[in-house]
Amino acid sequence: MRLYEGLFLIDNMPASTDWDGVVKNIHAILQKNGAEVLKSEKWGEKKLAYKIKGHKRGTYFLVHFNAENTSIPTMKRDFQLSDFLIRFLILRDTVIEELSAVATDEGLGEKETGKVFAAEEELLPEEKSEPLLTAGEG
Amino acid sequence: MTRRIFNKTSKCRFCRMGVEEVDYKDIQNLQKLATTRGKLFSRKRSGNCARHQRSVKISIKRARFMALLPYVT
Repeated sequence: MRLYEGLFLIDNMPASTDWDGVVKNIHAILQKNGAEVLKSEKWGEKKLAYKIKGHKRGTYFLVHFNAENTSIPTMKRDFQLSDFLIRFLILRDTVIEELSAVATDEGLGEKETGKVFAAEEELLPEEKSEPLLTAGEG
Repeated sequence: MTRRIFNKTSKCRFCRMGVEEVDYKDIQNLQKLATTRGKLFSRKRSGNCARHQRSVKISIKRARFMALLPYVT
């Protein structure tokens, strides 16, 4: 068994109407393939950086699970066939990190790492002039 | 002739923070390593060590796939 991390980009329509059903569906697919769900959390609804099949917004859902490496291809196929997912990414992971430690929302920056970067920008005056947020918002 | 002054603290930013691998979900920090057009900064510009620059490259590409960062703007 290995630890995996899956990030799912869910269509907003089913996510807003039947969120519990969507979560249950994802867990069902994972468990069908012999995975053991350790942690799952909603990242929230976000604007996508670019349009995917006409979708401008989507809801992110992060799952940590233990699974056999042989079950991953079938699991991926099952996810590809499910219609509520826009995109998903399954990667091997070593630790279950807190999502809040990485990024919770667009308005973060109070954490320590943010301070380090802020200090660095003062050293690089050319970086300062650029609007940093346009990439994610545009 | 001018000599380049090397600072003792001029390590890569991820080395200083003690980050093993850069996380693709950390968009706030990844955005700072790409131009407003969405292109990656060079190692010279970002000041990253080879290992972390590689990690950043992979992370940005993953973030792009998940529509967290743009391919182009």
